[in-house]
Amino acid sequence: MKQEMKAKRLPRLRSSRLLIPLVSVVSTFAVLILVFVVIGRNPLMAIYSFFQGSGLGLKPSYSKSSSMLTDFLSYLGILSPMLLGSLGVVVGLRGGLFNIGVSGQMLTAGFLATILVGYSKLPPPVSIPLVLLIGLAAGAILGAVIGWLKYRFNVHEVVSSIMFNYIVSFLTGYFIKTKYVDPIIRSSKQVAANAKLQVIFQTSSGLKLVVPIGIFIAIGMAFLIRFYLERMAGGFEIRMVGFNREGAAYAGVPIRNVMIRTMLISGALAGLAGVTYYLGYYSTIVPKDLPSLGYDAIAVALLGNLGPVSCILSSALITIFQKGAVYMSASTGVVREIASLVTGILLLFSSLGVSMRDRSRHYD
Amino acid sequence: MVDKIIIDGLAFSLPLFAMAIGGIFSEKSGITMLALEGIQGFGAFCGAVAFAYLQPVISGGTQVIIYPVLFAAMLGGMIFALLHAYMSIRFRLNQVISGVVVNILAMSLTIFLTGLINESLTGESSNKIWLGAAPRFSVPGISKIPVIGAIFRDLYIFAPFIVFFAVISVILLYRTRFGLRLRACGENPESVEAAGCSVKRIRYFALAICGLLTGLGGMNFAFTFSANFSPTIYMGYGYLAIAALICGNWDIRRTFLTCLIFGFARSGGYQLILKLGMSSDVSDLLLMIPYVLTLLLLLFFSRHNHPPSALGSDYEYDRR
Repeated sequence: MKQEMKAKRLPRLRSSRLLIPLVSVVSTFAVLILVFVVIGRNPLMAIYSFFQGSGLGLKPSYSKSSSMLTDFLSYLGILSPMLLGSLGVVVGLRGGLFNIGVSGQMLTAGFLATILVGYSKLPPPVSIPLVLLIGLAAGAILGAVIGWLKYRFNVHEVVSSIMFNYIVSFLTGYFIKTKYVDPIIRSSKQVAANAKLQVIFQTSSGLKLVVPIGIFIAIGMAFLIRFYLERMAGGFEIRMVGFNREGAAYAGVPIRNVMIRTMLISGALAGLAGVTYYLGYYSTIVPKDLPSLGYDAIAVALLGNLGPVSCILSSALITIFQKGAVYMSASTGVVREIASLVTGILLLFSSLGVSMRDRSRHYD
Repeated sequence: MVDKIIIDGLAFSLPLFAMAIGGIFSEKSGITMLALEGIQGFGAFCGAVAFAYLQPVISGGTQVIIYPVLFAAMLGGMIFALLHAYMSIRFRLNQVISGVVVNILAMSLTIFLTGLINESLTGESSNKIWLGAAPRFSVPGISKIPVIGAIFRDLYIFAPFIVFFAVISVILLYRTRFGLRLRACGENPESVEAAGCSVKRIRYFALAICGLLTGLGGMNFAFTFSANFSPTIYMGYGYLAIAALICGNWDIRRTFLTCLIFGFARSGGYQLILKLGMSSDVSDLLLMIPYVLTLLLLLFFSRHNHPPSALGSDYEYDRR
């Protein structure tokens, strides 16, 4: 039949685990070059300036206390919440739940850690584990509530997590504005240095090296999550429920526990992302401002084919655009919002790629 | 004060209602619609761009320009709704993911383009396209009646459009052959195919209608709540509309009621703040009310509702 041919005409790809992300990235770069040409900038220079801004290429000049290494460390600092957030999305999607509330969970965790530990005088060996613990717990609770609402009341997780995003944003905004505001910068007061998730080295040449602790946690988590999902019974249950909920129930998987557990882990990872974001990279919270990183994490997760370890690579790529946009904007005069445009286009291509992979598997 | 609550409440619930009807068309045809937020934003952006370019050309002020602007907004909404349709029908992408992709793409694209357009129009990049106040009118005669007359007082120019489209939608969805087929697509697509119609074509039509209505709602929000187009258009109203249609059990008439509840809860809260003379920090807290209310309503209504049974399925006629 004519219709039948039409349905199968879409490209079928075998051994596409590497090919599809590669095609997505290449086509995104093509679109980016096109955009730069259309608005009359040198595309190669502009793209290179993204890398320069992320500490992956030498800038023409540096100030006294910075170098390519400090830029790179700062890049790692923002890479860690991106990776952790995307791991949260991955765990959710593997279990068939779409955690779009990563931003809200990040903000909750960051806010609680800031007010409970950030303004205290605890020594770093006590305060750093405490900050991480608060981040984990806050995110996990918020995530588990979303999972519970989904199971108990059948509230769609996307809608409820978006509602939580706005509620958290207004609620924390209110408390920051009335209690913890710094009147000069109009956001919450700076977190004390002893609570920040950083180790600072001062080199003899005057360089200040800020090593983010978050990056070690993030990469460790990526491998841990892979081990959990691929090799442990709990992770297997999550994947079963994600693959076919009715089938899993028939096989005797406790759906309620698994759904809540999926969202709990997902939320905990998002909470860790929150503390590495607010206490590891920035040190204040802007009231009523949801971190857009929570949405970029979705693009990272899809680009990484929903694999925890491949998310390391995809988050490294997307962070280059996010982090390098400031320098790119300064050196070429293009608005820095182009970074989110690139993320959006990459998200579009990679999600189409994911769908194509599923289809090619279906026909093979 | 009651007048004020009614006027402001209607000004909020009518655009919400327009978007919710759009969502109903989409979901009744079996396509999960989480993209309302992005569609309304892109529609509003197209309308705002039309406004910025037409303003120096057409004389007669906002009163005249508003019609081509509305047309552009509805068309823009349709384009993005069809993008969602294309991804979820042709590529059979998971419809929840597709919706979120559309939202993020719309947000980044409009913010980026707003900067570019402002640069070319005024020479400096700003993230706002100024729109000005939308014209309002009162129905002569009835608007003089105390209390109830407030429904017809100070209406935005969009209100008659929305009411008109709502009536058309009710007739189209529940009284015509096309509407029956559309609803069948969401309940049992195989039967539609067996009756000799194309499920995919009907779904594309449904999404196009959804985009038109959602673009209208988005333009209305841009005009009435900020008088400009800026990233603040992404306030989550699209998701509120989804919540409204879920509480309304995917029925246009019941959804109207839930939209009214949202609108009056919001305007009532504002008036309460004004009355008690509280500070602006507290008013931020009150902005939270619609979202909390949504969650609570969803708790009560989600369990006993009947969503279209084929909602979210990627229909393929040759699937076994």
